Amino acid sequence: MTQFTIGEGVEHVPADLEAFTNHLHGALSDSPDIVYRSIVIGGNKGVIVYIEGLADPRLVLESIHDESPLWSESTGSTAVEDNYTRLQEHAISEGKVEEAHLLGLVISALLSGNTIIYLEGMSSALLVGTENLKQRAVQEASSQSVVRGPREGFTESLRDNTSLVRRRIQNPKLRLQEHTMGEESRTKVAIMFMEGKVDPDVLLELNKRLKHISLESILESNYIEEMIQDQRYSPFPTVYNTERPDIIAAALLDGRIAIFVEGTPFVLVVPALFLHFFQSSEDYYQRGDFASLVRFLRYICFAIALLTPSFYIAITTFHQEMIPANLLMSLIGQREGIPFPAFIEALLMEVTFEILREAGIRLPKSIGQSVSIVGTLVIGQAAVEAGLISAAMVIVVSITAIANFALPTFNMGISVRMLRFVLMAITASFGLFGMSIALIMLALHLCNLQSMGIPYMTSFAPFRWSDQKDALLRLSRPVMNKYFGRSGKKDY
Amino acid sequence: MFIFRKAIWLLLILLLILPGCWSRKELNELAVVAALGVDTHKSGFLVTAQVINSSEIGKQRSSVGATPVVTYQAVGITIPDALQRVLSQAPRQLYLSHLRVLVLGEALARSGISDVLDYVSRSPDLRTDFFMLVAQHSKARDVLNVLTSFEPIPANSLFSSILVSHKNWAATGMVTLQQYITELERAGSNPILSGVRVIGSQAVGYSSSNLKKINPDAQLQHAGIAVFKKDKLVGWLEESKSKTVNYILNEVSTTIGYVPCPGSENEVVGIEIFNSDTKMDVKLDQRGIPQFTAYIHVEANLNAVQCAIDLSKSKNIDYIQNQLKEKLEVVIGNNIRDVQTKYGADIFGFGEVLHREYPKVWAKYRNNWDTHFKTMSVQIKAFVAVRHIGSIIQPVRREIHQR
Repeated sequence: MTQFTIGEGVEHVPADLEAFTNHLHGALSDSPDIVYRSIVIGGNKGVIVYIEGLADPRLVLESIHDESPLWSESTGSTAVEDNYTRLQEHAISEGKVEEAHLLGLVISALLSGNTIIYLEGMSSALLVGTENLKQRAVQEASSQSVVRGPREGFTESLRDNTSLVRRRIQNPKLRLQEHTMGEESRTKVAIMFMEGKVDPDVLLELNKRLKHISLESILESNYIEEMIQDQRYSPFPTVYNTERPDIIAAALLDGRIAIFVEGTPFVLVVPALFLHFFQSSEDYYQRGDFASLVRFLRYICFAIALLTPSFYIAITTFHQEMIPANLLMSLIGQREGIPFPAFIEALLMEVTFEILREAGIRLPKSIGQSVSIVGTLVIGQAAVEAGLISAAMVIVVSITAIANFALPTFNMGISVRMLRFVLMAITASFGLFGMSIALIMLALHLCNLQSMGIPYMTSFAPFRWSDQKDALLRLSRPVMNKYFGRSGKKDY
Repeated sequence: MFIFRKAIWLLLILLLILPGCWSRKELNELAVVAALGVDTHKSGFLVTAQVINSSEIGKQRSSVGATPVVTYQAVGITIPDALQRVLSQAPRQLYLSHLRVLVLGEALARSGISDVLDYVSRSPDLRTDFFMLVAQHSKARDVLNVLTSFEPIPANSLFSSILVSHKNWAATGMVTLQQYITELERAGSNPILSGVRVIGSQAVGYSSSNLKKINPDAQLQHAGIAVFKKDKLVGWLEESKSKTVNYILNEVSTTIGYVPCPGSENEVVGIEIFNSDTKMDVKLDQRGIPQFTAYIHVEANLNAVQCAIDLSKSKNIDYIQNQLKEKLEVVIGNNIRDVQTKYGADIFGFGEVLHREYPKVWAKYRNNWDTHFKTMSVQIKAFVAVRHIGSIIQPVRREIHQR
């Protein structure tokens, strides 16, 4: 656990009420949302401190209110120690009551939603777990929707998220470890894995990397992702993220590790291999034959999204002899009078599309739709009619864009989008020859890449027969059981 | 190390920019040559290039009604020399890779086409899968100057009509450069080419007004098969002989014929041959002279019955079968003998069969096979099966007579 480094971190809680409140005032300043409520319990003065909106001290206040008049009668003691112990042991009808001796701990507990009960004369304070954040309810995951399968998605609350996973794997071997990270934001980060299934080397490696993270703040899981990924300069993602608890559950059962971050519904998974980015949770909720076909289609879409514009540029500017004669006639007719070279033409359309796409995300939902219609239909058709762009190029760019959306993970789609432009530039200079070289280099890079020390292309390179049940294809479960054994565990 | 790495990156980026996309050619910088015609000329070759007018092709809305192709002509000592001279008229670089047909003038074909073959097989721009045609009794230039219906590009029209007629008519030769050269180089065979001619008035064929008539003034027609001896044209085969060539070369897939009806020589039964398979065989007789036999297996349907035979009787069907068998054997046998005596060119590939079966015997003949070929005996054995008689059984003639 990360050690706190703020000023009063090592100071002890003073026995004097005024000194205590002064300390808190000094550390937290006079925020209007911090409530100091003076109390008297069994003749002892004290104070209850909590942050409005973050903590729900209703139960604490009620229990003290209900019980305190009776206290002196029942025990007869006005000794501060007795009352303190009584509070700690049974007077508070709230689950979690802890004791803190260090001021730093008191303050951090206060900031995370605990209610502090302090009695004068004691050199420690009670921390009552009254966290009650206003939260979004569990809703349908919007980023990876399915036709068939659970609809739940993660929320911004770490505890809700871990509970969503726990509900799916009711197994005592499910482990959860929590860290607080980010010197300023002090965000809770939890890692979850299945004892016995997880690769201990990967776990060790992850913990090592998490330990070395030095960040001021962590507001989203990408902060962690960027710090723990294996290679900074790779277009490919080596950390998987999802907002679907069922995907996380499946990943944990496969022996992978999930990283939850407070405040974001996106949970990370490591190690993340190339083929994981082509799997959709629905592959497992539909019949195997259909799932295999669809998964195969996604690999084709990957190729289309990556290569179509560059392939078009290559064959129309360098290798016209490869085009069937009739197609060539038609293409030539369309290109007649187009003032730009094919590469510029493709670049114009691709950039236009990227602009439309970016604009579509920013715009309010109602306008976003009309913008995309205006963009695709009007600009596309107008450009063709004005003779700026050939009709074939519009088709090429559209199929590329649509194929890109068919990839089930957004971050693999981003890689493809970036690489597409690189490939276009290379083929515009060197034709199919350049494209082949670029693809060879890409393959080398992919085979060289690792995720948490696991080769990125595992299942294909190194080839593992036992993984083939669920790599390019998703075999139906009886076949999996018959030929690959019943265990769901994959090597990755 | 760091600087080294930076330098590598810089070089790579420069590599993208500096070569300037060499050998890049945009589609609208090309003049795609769809057909090339070569004729003799007193100073070398007269080359005609049929170039696609790309602003007219591929657009739904045709602009000014210009012709879909333009032909350019130039004379040169060599073909590339002439082609380069075309650039004095054409605004774009000629692009030969999509050549569909190569038309050779008859005069050129008679004087030998080896120089043309050298160019077309030497040039890396040209594919080897275009069809070669001979312009019958005319110049290649005249054939390339006719506009065609259906296919706006005449070269495409020629290309697809060869495919269609070869498949369904079997009296045209579908010969690509590749096949021509293979036949030429093999000692035991001589090449053939398909012929094409212009029918009607050539004078109007070159204008798009030719296409505005329901019955165009000028049209292109396939005209049998041209027989070559080595690289020189020696003569033409008419329809029946052309079919014979295709039967023996096992190139017939569908064709139409007829046989006489039982009991009457004037009335006929129409036959559609839908499957034909030929195997050639050679045996040596007692004196060691090769005896060739061609086994032709034919499956046929009746498609027109112009007499009153009773088709429900199997003996009548057998009769038709026999008639067809005899006709095939006689006609094909005669045709082969005609070619043997008239041209002495082994366009059927009998020499090749001998070469494979009896390489040692072949060695005796190979040096002057064409002379020996004239004396070879060729037997035809046909096997005919009539499969279907169509949607009705009895001939309509018979039905009417019985009533």
